[in-house]
Order: sequence, then C-alpha cells, then structure tokens
Amino acid sequence: MTPTLLGRWHTRLILFFFIGLPVTFLYAWYLSAWGLSNEYTLAWPFSEVWLRLPPVELSIFQDPFKFLFALLIVGLILDVGYIQIQRFHWDQDWPFAYQFFFSWVEFFLVFYAMDFGFLDFMFPDGRIPFSTAIWHFTWVFIPSFIGVLALIQIFLVRWRFKGGELGRHPIR
Amino acid sequence: MPIEISWQHSGRAERRTFDGRGPFRIGRSQNGDVVLDHPQVSRLHVEVTVDGASVRIEDKGSQNGTRIDGRSVTSATWSQGEALQIGPFTLRYGWVAAQVELSRVEPAPAPRAERRTPADEPDNAAAGGGRAQFPGALFEGRTVAMAAIKASGKLAAEIEYLAIGGGCGSFCWVDHLRIYGVSASAIRVLGVAPDKSPYAKWGRLCRVSQIPEHERIRSNSISTPDNIWGFPGYASREFVRDVVHGRMVGFKHILQVFGEPVLTESYTPRLGDVFKSFDVEAKRIGWDQMWVHGQVVSIRKTDDERFVVAYRVPNEFAPGAARADRERFMVARYLQLATGYPASNFLPDLQDFKRAHPDVSAVVNAYEEHDEIYRSLEQKGGTVLIRGRGIVASRVLQRIFEARIKNPNIRVLHLNRSAVTEGAKYDLARRPVRADVQQQPFNWPKACWGGTLRKLLEDSAPEQRSELMKVWGGTTTADRDDWNVIIEQGLRDGWLKSFYGSVQSMNYQNGQVVTRLEGREKFQESVDLVADYVVDCTGLVARLDETPLLADLTRIYDLPRNKVSSGGAPESSLAGLAVTNAFEVAGMQNGRGRVWAAGVVTANGPYAAVDSFLGLQYAALRSVDQLGVLRAPGVSRFGPLRSLGQWLRWCTGRSPS
Ligand SMILES: Cc1cc2nc3c(=O)[nH]c(=O)nc-3n(C[C@H](O)[C@H](O)[C@H](O)COP(=O)(O)OP(=O)(O)OC[C@H]3O[C@@H](n4cnc5c(N)ncnc54)[C@H](O)[C@@H]3O)c2cc1C
Repeated sequence: MTPTLLGRWHTRLILFFFIGLPVTFLYAWYLSAWGLSNEYTLAWPFSEVWLRLPPVELSIFQDPFKFLFALLIVGLILDVGYIQIQRFHWDQDWPFAYQFFFSWVEFFLVFYAMDFGFLDFMFPDGRIPFSTAIWHFTWVFIPSFIGVLALIQIFLVRWRFKGGELGRHPIR
Repeated sequence: MPIEISWQHSGRAERRTFDGRGPFRIGRSQNGDVVLDHPQVSRLHVEVTVDGASVRIEDKGSQNGTRIDGRSVTSATWSQGEALQIGPFTLRYGWVAAQVELSRVEPAPAPRAERRTPADEPDNAAAGGGRAQFPGALFEGRTVAMAAIKASGKLAAEIEYLAIGGGCGSFCWVDHLRIYGVSASAIRVLGVAPDKSPYAKWGRLCRVSQIPEHERIRSNSISTPDNIWGFPGYASREFVRDVVHGRMVGFKHILQVFGEPVLTESYTPRLGDVFKSFDVEAKRIGWDQMWVHGQVVSIRKTDDERFVVAYRVPNEFAPGAARADRERFMVARYLQLATGYPASNFLPDLQDFKRAHPDVSAVVNAYEEHDEIYRSLEQKGGTVLIRGRGIVASRVLQRIFEARIKNPNIRVLHLNRSAVTEGAKYDLARRPVRADVQQQPFNWPKACWGGTLRKLLEDSAPEQRSELMKVWGGTTTADRDDWNVIIEQGLRDGWLKSFYGSVQSMNYQNGQVVTRLEGREKFQESVDLVADYVVDCTGLVARLDETPLLADLTRIYDLPRNKVSSGGAPESSLAGLAVTNAFEVAGMQNGRGRVWAAGVVTANGPYAAVDSFLGLQYAALRSVDQLGVLRAPGVSRFGPLRSLGQWLRWCTGRSPS
C-alpha cells in the first residue's frame, strides 16, 4: 500500500464505520446478552433462546464500543507517525506486513493503557478483561485487513490511486 | 536496414523510408512508392532494389531516361552519395540506422507476390511523408467540414468513442468504457496488430529483449490490465492455481505480497499469465468486434464538434483493394491516443557504426531482434560487450548466463560510463545500490502510482516535475536474487568484467567489433575493447517529432509539450504531450469533442508512471471518469454498487453489458 496521511484517515474511518462498528455491535450484543452467563453461552445458538431478544446488560454492551473508539483515536494519532516512517522508504510505501504488525501494536497500546488505568474515565464500571478484548479485536481486525487487501477496492475503484482517500479525482 | 530516399519537390524536401528488398517503384503514378509529379517523369520510371547494403536501379523504359551523377543508365548500381536524376528531380539515399525498428510489428511485412497487383503497395513507408497523397488537401487546415468528408466517399464509420493504437493503453481505456456502461457498438479501436492482440507490440518487445513467457515481468500483483479493480491480483490467482494443483509454492506468492518489498523480494507475475489474462478480458468485452485494422495517418477537428481520423488499411487486411480504396476516414466525438513508443533512435555512435557497416548484425540494440547472437554464442562461444545497466541489461545477462550452461566459452565485457557509488537520495530515503546498479522494484518508486509522490507531482509546477522525475526515475533494475547471484558468480569466476568509460568510436576489424574508450582524467591513453558482439542496453531516445502522426498533430494545433530536464536517463528527455491531470490533451478540445492520451506520449507530465500497466489504467480511469462528468453517452458515474455489480460480472466471466 502507498497511503497518504489523508488516505490513512479516510481508510481508518471507513473501516471503523463499515466493519468496526457492525462487528462491535454484534460482539457487544453477544457479550452483554449471553457472553457472561454460562447458562446462555452453552445454549446459544442451539436452543430457541437466541430467537428471543435477551435482556442486554447496558454497561457491558457499551464497553466494546468505547474500546473501539479508543483504538480509532489512537490510530488516527499514530497515522501521523506512520507517514513519517514511510519517508524513510525509497518507495514511500507501507508493506502489508507493517499494516499487520502495527494493527496489533495499536491494540496492545490501547489495552495496556486501559489496563494500567489511564482510560478509567471511559471505563468507570471496570476494565475489559484481556480475553474479551483480544477476541473483540480479532473479530474486527480480520475483516479490516481483508478490507484493505481486497474489499475496499471492489467497491471504490479510485481508492487505490488516491493513497486510500475517498471520493473522486477532481476534474481539472 | 531501412533505406531512406530523399528528393526535392517544389522547393520542399521530401523523404520516404522503405524496408525490405523492394523493388520500390518511382514514377509519376499515384500508385508508386515515390511519386514524382512532373511531365518529364514516366508513370513507372525506375525500380529500386535493395540487397544488403547494395542498391540497384532499373529504368523501366522511361521516355526521358535516368542518370546517375550525370551518366545515362538503364540498369546500374546506385552507390551512396550518388545523385539519381529523374526529370527535374535529384534523389539520394541513406540508411536509416537511426531508428530502432520498434515499429516492425506493424504492419507485418506484406507478403510479396512475384507479380504485384496494385493492392500490394507497401505501406511500410510509415516513417516517410505519406501525407503528400492522403488525406491531402482536405486536411490542410485546422478544421474539416463534415460535408467534405462525406463527399470524399471514404467515410467508414461515425461513432462516439475511438481508441487509436490498439495496444495496452487503448485496451485499458476500452475496458473502462465497457465496464462503465458503454456498448461495444459505440466504440472502435484502430490498430495495426495483425492478430488484433492488444499486447502484440509489447509482447514482441518483451520477446526480443529476452523475456520468455515463463519469466516474470517487472510489474506488481495488482497491476492487472485485465481487471480495473486490481483484485484479484496476479499473486492471488497464481496462489489459487498452485494450491488447486497441490503445489505449495503458491503460499510463497502470498507471503511475497505480504512482506514486499521490505521483508521479501517483490512479487511479479509471469509474462505468459499476463498475456492470457489479456486474452480472457478481450473476449469478455468484445475487443475483436470493436477492432478495425488501420494505420492512422492524421487527425483533425470537424466543424460539428467531433474529430475525423484518416487511416490506411494495411494491404494485407484488404487484399485486392487498390491503395485509394484502403484510405478511409472515421469520425468520433471522443478520442484516446495511445500509440506507444514513438520513433526511437540509437545512440549516436551506434548510428555511426550501423551506417558504416550496414550488413554487420553483430552490433544491436537490445530492443532489436537479436536471438541469433545467443544461438551463435551457444554454438561457437565468443565475447559479448554489454553496454549499459538496468533492467534490460539484467535480462540480457541472464540470457547469456543460460547460454553459458550450454557453452562455457562465453565471456562478457560490461561497459558503463562510470561506477555507481551511491543511490539517488530523496526526502529521507536513499535508493539502494547493489552490483553496481541502483535497485528498486519497479521503474518508479511505488508511491508514484497512487501514493504521496503521485499527489506531490500532480500538485507541482511543470519545472519542478521534471526535476522530481529525474531523481525518482533513472536507470534501475529489480532486486532479484537470481540476477544478483549471476553477477557475483560472473565476477568471481572471471567470465564477466566491468569497464568504465565513454565510447570514442566503434570499428569492425577481422570480424570483431572494436570499441575504443576515451581516455579519462589521469589515464589519457585510449583503451580498445574487442568483442564478437555488442548489445546496447542503454535505452532508446524517443522523439515525438519524428513520429508523423504526432508531429502533424502538434504542428497543426500548436500543442503544448511537457518540460524536460537535461542530463537524465533517455526517457527523462522525452517531452510528451501536455495533458491535464485527467489526461486530456490540452489544446485539442473541439466543443463537446475531446481527446485524451495515455502512455509514453504523455511522458514528463503530471503523472510519472505513464508507461506501465497500472499507469495506463490510471489514465483510463481518469479520462473515463471525466466522460462521466461530461455525461457522455452510456458512461455511468460508476459508484460503489455498480462497481460491485461489474466486479461480480468480471468474476463470473459475463460480458459487462
Ligand atoms: C520490454 C518491455 C517490458 C515492459 N514490462 C512492463 C511491465 O512488466 N509492467 C508494466 O507495467 N509495464 C511494462 N512495460 C511498459 C508498458 O506497460 C508497455 O510498454 C505497454 O505496452 C505500453 O502500452 P501503450 O499502449 O502505451 O503502447 P503499446 O502497447 O506499444 O501500443 C501502442 C500501439 O499503437 C500502435 N500504433 C502506433 N502508431 C500507430 C498509428 N499511427 N496508427 C495505428 N496504430 C499505431 C502500435 O502498433 C502499438 O500496437 C514494458 C515495456 C517494455 C518495452
């Protein structure tokens, strides 16, 4: 990939809205409705229970969204640094390997920031346990990575020529 | 080697170039090869035959006779420098060693029957001033009246979209048009490839420059001229194919794309796979139905906001038709010009050598047919002098390495002007150097195609652009392990040796080529390098002005050209047509009618990588997007849903419409 800074931001936002949010919604719902109750987890999805809307634990439901939001903010800030790293490459590119690696760096950064209590203002009712956070991130990461590898360009033909920016080229 | 015959005609210098043996016919008849319109000239006055470096003329029973340097002759040898006098005309000839025969793909040499019919006129005078006859006075001005075109009786078709060239650049444009919604019946493609193949010329250049079909080209996975989305790329396709056949190497391609270019060597597709992908997509979009055989001679604006294109159908595609019947017009509202490499010159000292020894084939440019050299090396061994470094030199070296497996008595002298001490520097990065050559995966830094450097170049002023491109471009090769090993082995085992210096002269002595290097600095003695063959890999000096179609267009419409900086690699000195960021040719707008260009004819403009598949796709995307804004018939705005729908059609091999 050869992103520009604006392209990084656009791409991050599009992944946030089209992959991050929907996946987080499903995960948060699952978590708050069944995830923490053994009774439900074991039954789901084989019993008829999943057809009924289970009562949702609002505080638990919110947490993954906050976590995702923290990831977005950290990512948008780090993007400024990534663009500087690119300048050291003759090709001014961003190998997929870097994309992969730094995605996980972002995750650990946000997770440990939370774990050490820096984000307590966002998580007043307690921090997210590691196993929950890593599953959440994995489910967001996999489709997002596929997104930059393939999905986005199927919908947006101009994206790859605009360093990841959205929209058309201006006609001049 | 082509012969160039020149003469004066009512105060104007005329010249025409002929390839092959002839006979070429000179006379008053409009059907002749050289038309001398004067009552003292007979209809068929003289025939010229070329045999190697010897040229013979035969007077075909003319009324007023023929003279060479004042002597009356009927059948004689015409030596270079002698004046051939026919009526009031004086003709001379020279050898056109200057131009590399890149254009030989088109049109394929006409099969010469023993007895020629009027239909067998050679069209291969492409480089000569054929304009004297067709389209003639009709195209004298800047605008042509539609009424006059219709009255000529030569109007073959009126359509919306016309692609000129029929090569890879045309293909990308037509592919976009079709996928954006235009029906095949609204599009025509004018080209000269005998088999209508979009890669005819590129494929030939690959073959002669020693890239066999199983070899990998210098292009990345998502550079997919057959697929406008760049997905699935060649790497994924190769992966799937390998895995289906149980070959585990497939995973290597995926890992390459994942880690390139930092952790692994960059993935590049096989030439044969790219060919096949072109064929499949050509079939899907109905390429053959849109194709029209024709060598484009000239383009003019019409008086109804369109363009008229004058072309000549090469005689092999219209057997039996007289020359005049093969001259036609096509009228279209939107044109795209993608004629590829314009006339390309050899380096001056190579030109000198070829002029002095027109029948010696031991000195070649790597883009000329020269397989014979490797065959002969494999049989007899010998010494090869390779001039220049870069991707083509790497290929030639690889080919020689393969020949050495059959015959170890092959030695290579590698000549460059000077050693490469350090790579180019840009921003915070420096281009790596290995084995005496700068290395980068592709011919431009990757970000030139769609990243930060694309944006920067587009936003820069013309003078800055040429400076930037001088740094980013230049002579480079790919960092391929196999090539690095070949060079290291060659130097270690002693069959390869590097030399530095500028060439003073090249001579032919005792069946060998002696290349004399100028003295340098403290070492003023000149040095002779003796070799059986010389393969020049220093590139080509292309000139728009020597390509009749483009020269005519730029002259008539006074088209602006891009700025170039001096002292770079050959390609950085090509001042392409000035185009907008959407590749529209500035100065060609005719009301609603527009002309776009793609490929190397736009070199040194707002986009660096114009001469690459991805660059051709980019040019196509931008121009067809502009057509959408202009609400051109059939062209959609191509939003996300249509894109997805068309992609699914691509995947299932269904026609776009
Ligand atoms: C050896 C080699 C290897 C390359 N490898 C790669 C690679 O790996 N990856 C990559 O991205 N790029 C590569 N390129 C660069 C580039 O992609 C190709 O050169 C490509 O073919 C350029 O397309 P084009 O349409 O500009 O020219 P072409 O494909 O050459 O098409 C132009 C066509 O116009 C025709 N034409 C010219 N004048 C007239 C006329 N007056 N009337 C009618 N027809 C006319 C010509 O016959 C020709 O068929 C390579 C180039 C070369 C030479």
